[in-house]
Order: sequence, then structure tokens, then C-alpha cells
Amino acid sequence: MMNEIVLEVKNLKTHFISNKGTAKAVDGIDFVLRKGETLGIVGESGCGKSMTSLSILRLIPSPPGKFVDGEVLLNGKDLVKMSNEELRKIRGNQISMIFQEPMTSLNPVIPVGEQIAEALRLHQGLSRKQAWDKSVEMIRLVGIPSPEKRAKQEPFQLSGGMRQRIMIAMALACTPEVLIADEPTTALDVTIQAQILEIMKDLQRKIGMGIIFITHDLGVVAEMCDQVGVMYAGQIVEHRDAKDIFNNPLHPYTQGLIGSLPKLYEDQEELQIIEGTVPSPYDYPEGCRFAERCPFSTDICVQKEPSLIQYGDNAKVRCWKYTNEWQDSLAKEVLKS
Amino acid sequence: MFLFIIKRLLQIVPVILGVTLVVFLIMQMVPGDSAVILAGEGASKETVEQLRVDLGLNKPMHEQYISYISNVVQGDLGNSLKNNQPVLDEILIRLPITMELAFFSILITVVLGLIAGIISAVRPYSYSDIGVMVVALLGISLPSFWLGILLMYVFSIKLQWLPVAGWDSTAHIILPAITLGAGGAAIVARMTRSSMLEVVGQDYIRTAKAKGLAEHVIIYKHALRNALIPVITVVGLQFGSLLGGTVLVESVFAINGLGRMIVDAIRTRDIPMVQGGVLVASLVFVFVNLLVDTMYRVFNKRIDLN
Amino acid sequence: MTVNTSLVNTVDLVLARKKIRREKRRLFFSTLGQNKAAVVGGIIILFYISLTFLAPILAPYDPYAINLQDKLQFPSWTHWMGTDDKGRDILSRILYGSRLSLGVGFSSVFFGAFFGIILGLVAGYYGKWVDTIISRSLDVMLAFPGILLALAIISALGPSLINVTIAVGVFSIPLFARIVRGSTMEIKQLEYIDAIRTLGANDFTIIFRHIFPNILSPIIVQGSLRLATAILSAAGLSFLGLGAQPPSPEWGAMLSSGRDFLFSAPYMAIFPGLMISVLVLGFNLFGDGLRDALDPRMKK
Repeated sequence: MMNEIVLEVKNLKTHFISNKGTAKAVDGIDFVLRKGETLGIVGESGCGKSMTSLSILRLIPSPPGKFVDGEVLLNGKDLVKMSNEELRKIRGNQISMIFQEPMTSLNPVIPVGEQIAEALRLHQGLSRKQAWDKSVEMIRLVGIPSPEKRAKQEPFQLSGGMRQRIMIAMALACTPEVLIADEPTTALDVTIQAQILEIMKDLQRKIGMGIIFITHDLGVVAEMCDQVGVMYAGQIVEHRDAKDIFNNPLHPYTQGLIGSLPKLYEDQEELQIIEGTVPSPYDYPEGCRFAERCPFSTDICVQKEPSLIQYGDNAKVRCWKYTNEWQDSLAKEVLKS
Repeated sequence: MFLFIIKRLLQIVPVILGVTLVVFLIMQMVPGDSAVILAGEGASKETVEQLRVDLGLNKPMHEQYISYISNVVQGDLGNSLKNNQPVLDEILIRLPITMELAFFSILITVVLGLIAGIISAVRPYSYSDIGVMVVALLGISLPSFWLGILLMYVFSIKLQWLPVAGWDSTAHIILPAITLGAGGAAIVARMTRSSMLEVVGQDYIRTAKAKGLAEHVIIYKHALRNALIPVITVVGLQFGSLLGGTVLVESVFAINGLGRMIVDAIRTRDIPMVQGGVLVASLVFVFVNLLVDTMYRVFNKRIDLN
Repeated sequence: MTVNTSLVNTVDLVLARKKIRREKRRLFFSTLGQNKAAVVGGIIILFYISLTFLAPILAPYDPYAINLQDKLQFPSWTHWMGTDDKGRDILSRILYGSRLSLGVGFSSVFFGAFFGIILGLVAGYYGKWVDTIISRSLDVMLAFPGILLALAIISALGPSLINVTIAVGVFSIPLFARIVRGSTMEIKQLEYIDAIRTLGANDFTIIFRHIFPNILSPIIVQGSLRLATAILSAAGLSFLGLGAQPPSPEWGAMLSSGRDFLFSAPYMAIFPGLMISVLVLGFNLFGDGLRDALDPRMKK
């Protein structure tokens, strides 16, 4: 089944300019999100995945953040070119976000029901009463008992898990086409995490929205996602069907990530660890950004930056290893030594 | 909450005792024989001795202190040396005037300070922000008595819009209240600005933006409510220096309030009057602080999550 | 052997601590130099300090010389700031008055800082009941609104500039003590203080040689901001007639006598007030800049 494309991001670049220089936090991201599909974006902290998600709705604080290049197409319309006024009609309405920190992402002095209801009044033109009723209904939908009472409470009276459910209720209140979830379960303990993921999947089936799921947790990817984009140093280095990436990771970085997962049924001597450190976003190397840490690195990897190439039918990878140039480069190196 | 107030009330008991002790010690610090001073100039030896026994000044200090406290509790703050009238009567005439002045001043402090602070914080580092902050810096640097004289010169003498001095009509309140409130307004403006800028960087403001809310809703509904909480404490503290400031401003504008009463009493060495005035002003301050503390706690409970 | 290693470690710790302090100081001066407000404030303060020294050279007239023929003259080339009701040259009086205003400001803050620092160090270092007694006493002093405590003290000691200095100084004590107490409690918990103690250093050495140098920065910030308030309070008390007495050219007192001639000679009140305001502004700018330079959290 090929669903229609709802969100398309092309060559997105967001940089941060300070007196230390320019940090290329998001440096040329491309992806496509289809209706009803979940796209996972994985990577270590600092790889730019959160900045990517914030860039989509232009939520990067500026300065120091600066949009440099790219397009963000929602049903073919470019969000980048929109006025603030137009964009506000999209935020929280067609595209919603859930943030990582349920503790601090809700306004501490406003009842949670009102925090949901205000978006409903704004985007759906509901009356105060209608919006409140819908808000209570949403709180019920995300599985919080006695929603009428909870809606009137302020965040400090709710547990962390409940607050994240409120965030979900808030994000989904206007039945968005796209939900961006930035590490929505990281701050929660494992049982609550599972419940929250279940709620999200359930609501996705009901509403049919596309989800961009940002996480550093490959286990969550396996559970939630249809597609995965692996991010490294501001770029996507591998784009796959989620079911393939665990069996047959292409990019050496992805291989490293998956190798570092403990496996339940295999007798492992030790976990693999990727050696070395991520290059500084202020000063990326000329060639492949992973070359310094890569066991397959050759001359060409250090000299030229690889592009995201098609591999097979439904995989993309940013690596020289799958090109003829790399074979040549390797051959030369072997001959020299 | 009720328990908290009870606890705070119990906590201020030692503070009040300490304040009375300091006020009591003023009398002891006066060089020379208190009885001679209290009897006034030209009193005969017999009168002085009679007074010493009457007031218990021949007793040990701790006994004198205890009787001072018990008098204070009964509302007896002693008699004025000038006219032998009860100090409390005079204070009860003067205090309402000072409280009225303080009320309008704090109103100016809060309203002017908040408006200026918000203007600043909405567009940080813009010309309007820099302008407001420069004025605020001047506001905390100008001596209130000088500002009062300047205002009086411009608005009363040159423009003749407002009365020069006194305390008879609403028009009389304007200049003193501005004079007394200006310094506090400057501090509140600076605090509101920094507090707003801090709040604007919080996660929940990002959530509000992601919801698609308009900027003015984000500022006035989501940011301001949170930013005001630390400002409450500052306003409370300002009330203290404001009460102290009444001393100067009442002198500048010839207002017969408590502050001016204390200054006049110091000039005429009317010690019981000074003691009574300082004691009452301090008690007012202690209770205003209690009120502010309670308010802060009510609002802050929600913030202090973890 | 064990004794030796622990000694070496302690020496290392102390040296490292000193190095950190030196590094911090270097960073502090470079940030302070970049802070425009602090530089402007510093220049203003230096300007006023130089006035106190140069007053005899710069002053065109004797500040006390009464000349009733020339009284209440509007500012002109012969009298830049005009003359007062007794024909004295206001500029000359203001120049000499700088000594009084700065003198009262500095000495009262010095007075307050001295006792405040000692009380704060003792309370913070010893804790327990010593801390309780000192802290409660400070609470009492802070329960007096604004300059009322100073007023109470003056009412007992009698009006004079020296008594104003003492009164304003006493009011500064709790402000210094509170800051010092907090910082002392922080430093006290550092490992290296324990190390020094095991080497047999006595309390006095620990407090003054090792704790005190580490808490100087908040004291300096408080000192600068406090100077602004102290100068304002002292001038205010003189304005009320409770400090410097006529014919003293103290600015607050000059302002007070100028008030009576507001109709005919407003400059009598304007110039002294301006001098006080700019000086206080200087200390506020400098204090704000110091705080930003010393407190990295406040920095942009």
C-alpha cells in the first residue's frame, strides 16, 4: 500500500551562529512522511534530531538559530515561505508536537484542561463550553481516570506519566495530520513508557496521522516505526524500512549502534562500542563525518563527503562503501602497502 | 496553608521581641541620665527623682524592658516629652496619612514597574528596551528627596498644575506618591524584565508556541503569570524601603505623616515619640512581609514541582 | 609515609585552589573590562575620587567664605553654579563636599562590611547555636524598614555626620553578614578545608587564610551596590538635618537649604542633587557590571 505523502522535508539546514562560530546543527535533511505511517529518527544526543523537529515548525529560537536552506512541504505547501500568521494556523492544528520533558512542558499556573481547550478554541472555533467538554473528552481518551476532576487541576497535582498523557491529549486535540514526538517517553519509567506508546499507536489508528518519532532508543523504534532515518552529525546517514535495519544495517554507524545493543538470545562476549567521538558541529571534516571512527575508512572517505545514495529498492545510505569509487580507493591503498 | 500562616506568625514573635528590644535600647543608648532627659530642661531635682521612681528607671535593665513590653502590649507607648500627650494618640493620627501615601506609592511602583518591565522584555535589546532600562537605572540612582524637589519645581512652581505641599486633596497625593514610588518602580521594572526573559526561555512557552497561539496570548497569558511570582517578593521588599522613604518624602512635601513625626521628634529629642514611631512602622513592615510571604507561597507552590 | 602523602596532597589542593582563584581573577578583570556599564561606572567613581583630592586646586573660591553682596547669583562665568543665600560659591562648596559624601559612603560601608564579614564568617563556619543567635539578630535588624534603623540610632546618639556614618554602617551589617554566611557555608564543605584541618590548622587560620579569600567576590559586589545606597541614605539624613550641620558643604545639607530658595534660586538644590545622582549611578553601574562579571549565570 502506498499512502499519499503528507509531509516532505527537502535539504533542511538550520545553523546556530554565536561568537564561537557557526554550528551546523541540521545540515541537509531529507525525508518523506506518509499518511498513517511512523517515521523514526534515531541518533545520539547532539546529532541534531531535536533541532530537526523544531525546525519543521520554525520553533528554533532566533538568534542564535538561523534557518539556512530547505523546504518543508505540508501537503505540497512550503511552511518555510509562510508568514507567521499562516504558520500559527498550522501549529497545533495540522502539525502538533509532543516534547521530551513532561515536567516542564506544561504551563505550571494554568489548569491542564484549559491548556488543551485553548488550542481547540483557536483552531476549531469552539465555544468556551464546547472546547472544555472536548478537552475533558481528550483527557479521557488518553486514559486518565476521572478526567472532569483532572482537567481543573494544575500540572503540579499530576504525576509525570499523567502530564505526558496530557501533552498527548493536547497535541491530538485538533486531530493533526502530522504528530512530531520528540523523545516523548524518555523521562518516564518503563511501564508508563509502554502505556504511552500504546496510546499513541491506538490514536494513530483512529486518526490516521503520520508520526515523526524522535528517539535515541532503538528498542522503541522497533516497536513503533515503519521507516527509520538514522542521524549522525546533522545529517541522515541511513534511511530504511524499520524491519530491515536491525537485520541488515548498511551504514557502519548504524551497524555500530545495533552492535551496541545487548542481544537477548545470543552469547555475546562483549558489547561493541563505537570508538572515537562525534566531530564538533562548529568544524565538520571535509570528507565523511563518520570517517574518523569508521573501520572501513579509506582515502576517499576522508577527502570527499558522501551523498545519500539509493541502495536497492527502499533503502538510502550515505556511505562510500557502497560505491565503485570506494572499491577503487581501497584497491589503491592495498597496492600502495 | 492555615498551618503555614500559624507557623510564620510564631516565627515573627522573636523578631517582634527583637525589634522592641532595639527600640527599648535606643533610650538606654542616649548619653546621660534618661530621667533628666525625660523630665525636660529646667526640671527640679525632686521632679527628676520622682520621675525616676514613677517610670521605674531605678530598677535593673531587664525589669525595665519587661515593663516596657507589657506597656507596649497594653497600647501604652509612653507620653510625648513635648506636650505630655500619649504617643499612641499622635501615631494614630499620623499613621493613616502615611499608609495612604504608602498605598498610592506602591500602586505606582507596581503598575509603572510592571508596564515598563513588560515593554522591555517583549523586545529585548531593542531601543524601547534600552530606553526603559536607562530610565530605570536613573530611577534607582536619583535620591527621592531630590526627585521630589525637581517634580515640585516643575509641576508646582513652574507649571503650577499641582499644589506645592500639604495633604488636603487628591491633587496633593500625586507628586509625593510618584516621588516615593519611582525608585521601587525602577526595581520592579528590572526584576520583571529579567524574570520575563527567563520565563520566555522555558519549555512551556515553546509548547504554547507549538500550539499556534498568538504572541500576545503567549506573553500575557502564559509568560506573565509565571514571571510575576518572583516579582511579588521584590514588591514586598520594596515596601520596606518605601516605608523608610516616607520619612524623606513627607519632609519634602510637608506631609504630617508618621515619618515626619519621627524626624521632628528626633530634632526635639522627644525620645518616646521616636521609639513609638519606629516601633509601629517596623511592626507594619513585619506584617506586610508576612502577607507577601504567604502570597508568594500560594503562587509558588505550583512552580516548585520537584 | 602516609603522613607524607597526605601532606603532599593537601599542599597540592591548596595550590590548586590558589591557581583557580588566580585564574578566576584574570577572567573577572577581562569580563569586567568588556562590560561597558562597569567601565562607565568605574570612570564616574574615579572622577569623583579625583575631585576629593583636587578640590583645593580646582575650587575657585573659599567654600565657607560668606559674601552677602553676591548672594543668590544665577550661574555665570564668575560662579559656574551660582552662589547660595550667603553668597558662597556653590561650585567650590560642591567640590569640597565630595570629600564628605564619599567619605561618609566609604566609611559607613567599610564599617558595615567589617562587622558584617566577621559575623557572617563566624555564623557560617561554626553553625549550630552560634549561627542561630547571629542569624536571628540579623533578622531583627532587617525587620526595620529602610533607613528607620539608622534614624533610631541617630535619635540616641544625636545628629552629626559621624553618627550618620555609624547609623548607615550598622544598617549595612546584616546585608554583608547574610552573604558572607551563605558563601562560608558553601566553602566550608569543600574537601580541601578538611585537608587543611587534618594538618592541624586552627579555626582562625582556616577562616581568614583559606575561606575569606574565596568569598571576596560577592562581598565586593555587595560593597559596590551598598555604597550607592549608603551615599543616598547619608545624604538623605543630612537633608533631614540629622547629619552634617550648616555651614558644612555636605550635598544633602546643601540640597536641604536650597529647598527654601526653590522659587528664586532653584540651582541651589539642582546641582547638589545632580552630584549625588551621578555618583550613585556610577556605583550602581559598576556594581551591576561587577555582578555580571563575577556571576557567570547572569552572563549572556
